[in-house]
Parts: sequence; structure tokens; C-alpha cells
Amino acid sequence: MSAVRDRSGRRPSMVGDALAQVGACGLFLLQILAALPKSLRHFRETVRQIWFVGAMSLVIIMTCGLFVGMVLGLQLYYVLSIFGGTAALGTVVSLSLYRELGPVVTALLFAGRAGTSITAEIGLMRATDQLSAMEMMAVDPLAYVAAPRFLAGVVAMPLLACVFNALGIFGAHLVGVSWLGLDNGTFWSNMTSSVDVWSDVVNGVWKSVAFGGVVALIAVFQGYTTPPTSEGVAYATTRTVVFSSIVVLALDFVMTAFLM
Amino acid sequence: MTDARAPTAPTDEALVQVRGLSTVLNGKTIFDRLDLDIPRGKVTAIMGPSGTGKTTLLRHVTGQLMPDAGSIRVAGADVPTLSRDALFALRERIGFLFQNSALLTDFSVFENVAFPLRQHLKLPEELVRNIVLTKLQAVGLRGAAELMPSELSGGMARRVALARAIIRDPMLILYDEPFVGLDPIALNQVLRLIRTLNETLGVTSVLVAHEFAAVARAADLVYLIAGGKVVARGTPEELQRDDSPWTRQFFGGEADGPVPFQYPARDYAADLGFPAAGAAS
Repeated sequence: MSAVRDRSGRRPSMVGDALAQVGACGLFLLQILAALPKSLRHFRETVRQIWFVGAMSLVIIMTCGLFVGMVLGLQLYYVLSIFGGTAALGTVVSLSLYRELGPVVTALLFAGRAGTSITAEIGLMRATDQLSAMEMMAVDPLAYVAAPRFLAGVVAMPLLACVFNALGIFGAHLVGVSWLGLDNGTFWSNMTSSVDVWSDVVNGVWKSVAFGGVVALIAVFQGYTTPPTSEGVAYATTRTVVFSSIVVLALDFVMTAFLM
Repeated sequence: MTDARAPTAPTDEALVQVRGLSTVLNGKTIFDRLDLDIPRGKVTAIMGPSGTGKTTLLRHVTGQLMPDAGSIRVAGADVPTLSRDALFALRERIGFLFQNSALLTDFSVFENVAFPLRQHLKLPEELVRNIVLTKLQAVGLRGAAELMPSELSGGMARRVALARAIIRDPMLILYDEPFVGLDPIALNQVLRLIRTLNETLGVTSVLVAHEFAAVARAADLVYLIAGGKVVARGTPEELQRDDSPWTRQFFGGEADGPVPFQYPARDYAADLGFPAAGAAS
């Protein structure tokens, strides 16, 4: 099989290929943003997508949030008990969840649950000429397919992260207070006194919005540009999870550095 | 019959005018300065061997694919130079039947057919329902309105796609392989529908098909394309009488002739590992 070559006949390097992908994804984002006003005409489709990527992800988000909170409660209780500081359990758990774990873990779960389905769905639409059919019916697939899914990711992610955080705190409370005997009032009062709405909760929400946009963009881009073959769709779905995970973690570091 | 290789003079009656169309895809020349006219209000068939670019021609006409050279004018508009908005405005007046139907798999048959109406027109729901059911009745699938595409056979899906293509009464309908997978009854009805649309509404139709018997019943004009050019042109009767090597081979279904049956390959014996003929033992 002949090696892939660019238009000038050279074989592109991995770095060059990756940069080209990033550039194409950036241009795709601009196209989606330009199509957003037109996509408002398809408001029902946007609501349907929010339900699909948001409500349909609730079970996995709630389950994982509960267990992450329980593990945090268990681990931190024993670590804090060494220093006699179990009273700070609510504070540490809530700050961990609001600032980092909530947005990041939700984004990773979101990429696995919703991102992959978005990529596979659009990829199959590409493979079966449904996107071409829309173009032939003078319906812009960017406005009807891509933009609503992108918007749904941006809207659904912060909501899912809030649910994740709530279930996480509930899980930590269950372990720390109900099972290990920490005082209920201490748990809640320390948490409410040390968590700041703007610097902790709202910053976490901003992260979620950014992560939702990034994951949805990668998912839609991969589906939209996938080769119209079963192997192409399979690779695109895998790339969505891999790229989303890397970008979310890298972006988390950058945003944390700027928001702190 | 006219000499198809001679450049066609532009005519006012042509709804689609293709001039000097050249296209190279993946290093292969698909069209080499192709000239072709689709007369207004007629049914024109595009025929030719597989892989000769018939579907590609339809994609050029609808602006899905840009040519390397040449012009494609549809209703006076030069398609390759149109802006996206102008192209979409033109496409609203064109119906396109895809080779694989391309139904939207999340929607029912009814919603698939109603899709273009809902996207472009603000019509009362009752009117939408009546228009959709009228078109589905025309293709014999009114009773299948609530089925999902996954519940349809290939032939039924094609008829639903046909109903969707004609839902807005377009000026031009492009049919890509409309007869594949149809049983004789459905085939007959689709042929009648194509002729009826043409005769009653004056719709211009372009058929890409391989079934000459069906084409002969529906088409007013037939183009035979091979080697990137129009090699024969005329009415179905004229093409049947034509004695050129192209028409003789294509309509006679012969392997030998100007159109190679075999895809270009190296020597058969060498491929099988046999010594080349005449080689010293």
C-alpha cells in the first residue's frame, strides 16, 4: 500500500499531521460558530440533543459521582484522622469536587458516553449519505447536525457536573457521617464556611462549560470528517475519547493556572 | 443521430448546459472536456458503463463537486461560481434521488418526506400531512407512512426517497439509479410517475440508469457516456438502431469492444505465476 502523501508529494510527519488536524478543527469551530444563528431555527433539534447527551448521561454521571464521593470520603477520613482533622472532611471533599474532580471526571465520562455516540451517529450519517441528502435539500448540516450537538455539549456539561458534585458530596456524607460517625453539623458547617461561591463553584462551572465545548467539538469534528467506512467510524470514535481525554486534562491545567 | 463527439451548440431550451467539463478524481480522468445539454421539460437518460462518471455528473450539476475545468449552468446559473446561499437557493428547486436512498434513519417515512417542507416552509400541519400523503400515495407507500427506514426493503426505501425528492414539485429532478431493487409493479409505477411529472408539470428529469428497457419507456433523450466523453446521443429508438461500436457493445452487453470490461491490470498469466508466453524453458 502506498504511503499517504500531501499535495506536494511529501509524506506528512506525525507532528505535521497533528498540527493540520488542530488547524482543521479550529476552522471547523469557526464554521460551527457561524452556523449557530441559523441553528436556532432548529431549536427543537437542539433541545432533543440536550436531552440525548444530557439526560441520557445522567445514570452514569450519578453513579460515578456517588462512588467517587464515597471513595473520597473513605480515603480522606483516614488520612485526616492521622492528623486529627476529620472535621475538615466536608471542606476537602467539596473543594476537590467543585474545583477539579467534578468538571474533569464529568468531562471524561461525558466523552465516553455522549462524545462517542455523537461521533458514531454523525459518522454513520456521513457514510450513508444522509449529510449529502440534507445538503441536496438545501439544509445546512452544520446548522442542523453539528451546531445543535455542539451547543448541547456546552449546555449539558455544567449541569451534569453539578449533578456529579451533588452526588459526590452525598457519597462522602454517607461514608463520613452515616458510616464512620463524623458529626453531621461539623461536616456541613465546615463545608459552607470554607467554600466560596465565586472562586470555587463558579470557576468549576466555567471549566465545565469549556470542557463541554471541547469534548463536543472534538466529537462532532471526528464524526463529520470520518472516512465513510465502518473502519473509519470505529477509528473516529476511538479518537474522540483519546483526544478529548488529553485535551480536557491539558486544558484543566491551563485553566487552573489562570483561575487560581 | 447527431455526432456526439462534436461540441454541442448552446440552446435556449436547455435547462442544464455542460461545457468543456473536465474532472480528475484520485488521478483518474473522469471527464475530458465533456459537452452536454439537458433539454427543458424532457426526460433525459445518462447511460454508460460502471465507473464512467454518471453519478459524478449529477454531483457536478448540483454543486456537490467542483470541476477542474468547464462550466455547468443550471437555469442560467453557473453552478461552480455560486455562493453557498445561492447554491442552496438553487437546490431548493432541484429534487435528487440518491443511489442508496439516503433516508434520515431517525425519522419515520412520513417525517422523511415532510423534512424539506418543514425546513423551508411554514405550512399548517394539516397541509403538510396532505401533501406528504399525496406523494406517498403516488409511490404506493401511503400505508407505510409510520414505518421507520430500517423497516423498509431497498425498493421501498427508494420509493420513499423518490417521494421526498418530488415533495416540493421541483423544476429539475435528478434520479440516480431509480430502478434498482424495484419489483416489476413498482418499476412500472415509478416509470409512470416520472412520465406523469414530466407531462403534467413540465418537470425536467435526468435519469442515471443501466436498464435500457426501462429507460426506453421513460426517456425522450439518451446520452451514452464513456471514456470521459459523450459517445452517443439520441432518442432511445435512434440508439437502438445505431451501429457504432460503443452502442453495439453497451446495449449488446459484450465484453469486447471500445469499453474495456477488465480494470487495467498486468499480464494475467504473470499474475497467476505462470511463465510468460514465449519465454525460454
